[in-house]
Amino acid sequence: MFSSELLAQTLIAGVMIGVIYALMALGITFIYSIVKMINWAMGEFYMIGSFVQYALVVYLLGPDLWWVAAPLSAATVFLLGMVIEPILIKPMFTQGIERRDDYATVVTIALLLLLRNLATALGGPYQRNPGSDLPTVMIGPLPESGARFAAFLCTLLALALFYLLLKRTWLGLALRAAAQSRIGVETAGIDILRLDQVAFGIGVALAAIAGALLAPVFFVFPTNGVVTTVKGFEIIVIGGLGSIPGALVAGILLGVVESLGTAFISSPYQNAYGFLLVLLILLIRPSGLFGERVRQA
Amino acid sequence: MAALLETAGLSKRFGGLVATNGVDVAIAAGEIRGLIGPNGAGKTTLVNLLTGLYAPDAGDIRLAGESIAGLSPHRIARKGLLRSFQVTRLFGNLSLLDNLLLPYLARGSGAVAEGLARARHFLDLTRLAPLAEAPAKSLSGGQRALLQVVCGFMVPELKCYVLDEPFAGINPVIKDRIIELILADNAERGTTFLIVSHEMTVMRRLCPKITVMIEGRVIAEGTLEEVAARRDVVEAYLGKTLA
Amino acid sequence: MPQSRALAGALAVALTATAGIVAAKAADEVIIGLEIPLSPPGDPTAGQLIRRGGELAVEYVNTKMGGVAGGKKIALAVEDSQGRTEAGIAGYRRLATEEHAVGVTGFFHSSVNIAVNEVANEIGVPTIATQASAAEITAKHYDIAFRTHAIDPIRVEAFREFVKKKGFKRIAMVAETTDYGIGISDEMEQQTKAAGDKVELMKVTFDHATTDLTPQLLQVKAFKPDLVINIAVGQPLDLMIDQATTLGILPQTAMLISYDAPARPQYWKLHPQDGNGIYFIAYYSPKEKLSDLGDWLVKTYEEKYKEPPIYSSLNGFGDVMILAQAVDQAKSTDPKAVVKALETGTFKSWAAAPVTFPAAKGVYWHNWSPPILVIHYTKPNEDWRQAEVVLEHVGTAPQ
Repeated sequence: MFSSELLAQTLIAGVMIGVIYALMALGITFIYSIVKMINWAMGEFYMIGSFVQYALVVYLLGPDLWWVAAPLSAATVFLLGMVIEPILIKPMFTQGIERRDDYATVVTIALLLLLRNLATALGGPYQRNPGSDLPTVMIGPLPESGARFAAFLCTLLALALFYLLLKRTWLGLALRAAAQSRIGVETAGIDILRLDQVAFGIGVALAAIAGALLAPVFFVFPTNGVVTTVKGFEIIVIGGLGSIPGALVAGILLGVVESLGTAFISSPYQNAYGFLLVLLILLIRPSGLFGERVRQA
Repeated sequence: MAALLETAGLSKRFGGLVATNGVDVAIAAGEIRGLIGPNGAGKTTLVNLLTGLYAPDAGDIRLAGESIAGLSPHRIARKGLLRSFQVTRLFGNLSLLDNLLLPYLARGSGAVAEGLARARHFLDLTRLAPLAEAPAKSLSGGQRALLQVVCGFMVPELKCYVLDEPFAGINPVIKDRIIELILADNAERGTTFLIVSHEMTVMRRLCPKITVMIEGRVIAEGTLEEVAARRDVVEAYLGKTLA
Repeated sequence: MPQSRALAGALAVALTATAGIVAAKAADEVIIGLEIPLSPPGDPTAGQLIRRGGELAVEYVNTKMGGVAGGKKIALAVEDSQGRTEAGIAGYRRLATEEHAVGVTGFFHSSVNIAVNEVANEIGVPTIATQASAAEITAKHYDIAFRTHAIDPIRVEAFREFVKKKGFKRIAMVAETTDYGIGISDEMEQQTKAAGDKVELMKVTFDHATTDLTPQLLQVKAFKPDLVINIAVGQPLDLMIDQATTLGILPQTAMLISYDAPARPQYWKLHPQDGNGIYFIAYYSPKEKLSDLGDWLVKTYEEKYKEPPIYSSLNGFGDVMILAQAVDQAKSTDPKAVVKALETGTFKSWAAAPVTFPAAKGVYWHNWSPPILVIHYTKPNEDWRQAEVVLEHVGTAPQ
């Protein structure tokens, strides 16, 4: 069933979903690059972002103002991250903990269970949808739902803002420096623990934007972050942990490979194509496409 | 003259190893002090204690009369005690300009324009200006050492600058340039220096007074000639002649 | 020391968070195991609705019936299958060996039920499938395997009756690659071929954990079907409705959903615009006459949850009631005696017809099936209880 139209449509669909995947991976990779820990509870911040979006749209702003609600949802989760970090993550550096990776894994998985069970207790059994009045748009030959296309555009916008923050601001400079050497920024006079807190807040806010934007597409329920988290980790393996361009390129690559494989090879293995890509990368370039082989001293 | 930087009974242990053992050092304001000793003498441990990377097990550190022992590295830096690293700890992916701006802005200053002007001044002075936008990792080893020393001068409140092996493995031209920078800053601002180095010719030029550490203890202090005349110092260097 | 304290704290938080899942039990209670999906890739909504029914059954047995086997109270022990076979097997083992459950029910995902039955066949604690329809669950004729749900052949008979009635000619099946999705789509291909139905069938499948069905639906669109059968469970079911609408397949083309998800109160909230015109399979309509147990359940459920119960809750209730009655009839909590009672006894559930589990042929072994309805939404926000019932299919075991 090959046709050039189907190929074009499939490619576009792959790029669209890939960019959205990338946002999720970006949050994980960004926190890792600064705080040097993997936040396993990332999907739960995605989930909280979607719930805040739902509450804002349904009870306060209405579906037309979804674009006001999305940054507000991200800001809420940013503040939540700023509150959680000093309680759970900071002790990793101040309490003389030796096996930091183990600590971070246990603490964030505990957080994951707590947030998920809390949401199940508060949210009830049903899925929710904040609704979207955006009309279907044609992207070349592919009709795409308004909400999904808006999520795609806003993801690009969020990525651009994030890039500007990193490249054009003093905070961005400090963050870029901290990603290379924590001791280097400390001895330059920067409070690294404070920087960790901000970086954690920004990272979880990136996940929350994804959750807020995708609320009308994948709906709102306590475990809606699970699938996107899995994709996020696949992207990180493909793109390289700690690499921001890697997250974007790998996200698009994953989206396109899944989409093409499904359309032209065999449909039931949609998620397997992603894993095959992951395995391939692990074989030929274990540090990922953009990962640095040796970390700087 | 009152000491600007002073330690009393400073000790640090790593397991069974005593890295510094009751170190007492007093460096006067405006002094350029040398610190020498064979490998493993505890010089870098002392530097790490002074700048807050390690917390001391015992003893005290005073900067301008105020105790700074146990403070976090960024607080010590904000008080005007800065350092360079033996292994250059530049931010390889950042531009030279960004590397210089970082310590300037880290003080909480929002004056980006002034910081940029200051950075450009130092880039001109060190003849690195053409590379201002290049990533630091593209520099040669000597240029990196030069840039790292300048990073500290970017801080207007710099009181005391601890340089750990700033001259290791770099060519004589750049070595001279670093020496000139140190002497100029010392003359203009009265900055106090503590310089760890094996380069005895440089130490003779820069440091009227040298402290010698062996096995975690300070064993001698004086001019290079005085300490070089001491038998225990020479023995510690295992026959290595002091030029 | 600070490290171990921090780790201990984190673990304590995690344990507190999960503690709610397993209800505390008093000594001398009869434990009924409930194995339901409470997290993805399972269908957590279904799991929680089944649990609501099960909890009301406990309330009924303990307050109205005065307990079982001489006044013993019953209690539930709940395990989350996550819709995954490994989690399902681990959950069953805990229920059977640690909780000493007399039987385990609540099964929703066919894959889980099939895998668990292999273990159950050795351990001997019976299972009742609440809403899992794959043939294999009962076709293997295990002594411990029971079911109170529509099985694939009967469901597919209903599909074909519906296709004939509406005159559809080109049918696209979009099925998830689970025992449920593959079981139904294969059965549809076999029955259509065997009966010589004059229709063009097309099948496209997808992984249950997908986030994008565009590639599959583009193929469906190119096929130009007049009916799409949505054989997905949980989130992909909703995704398919939305994406089929976006791609212009809906509303021009009819869509039949393979189970009763559109009867859930969330349906119109998820699909305020594109949910109209859908056909779906259901197993219960409030227009039916129910047993006195069923009437009690509907009334109590509506009081408690401020919404009408749907089939998941009804059958979750019924299956716990059946296990309680089996213990009562066996006058024993020994699993062997409970299996015997299930095989020979007659039980009351929510439906008017009594429930029995005859040792019938093939897939009809130990199976009791509710009637299958096809319901059609013809206006947005329509109450499913008032919606048009296109057909009612009563499947009977071939004698």
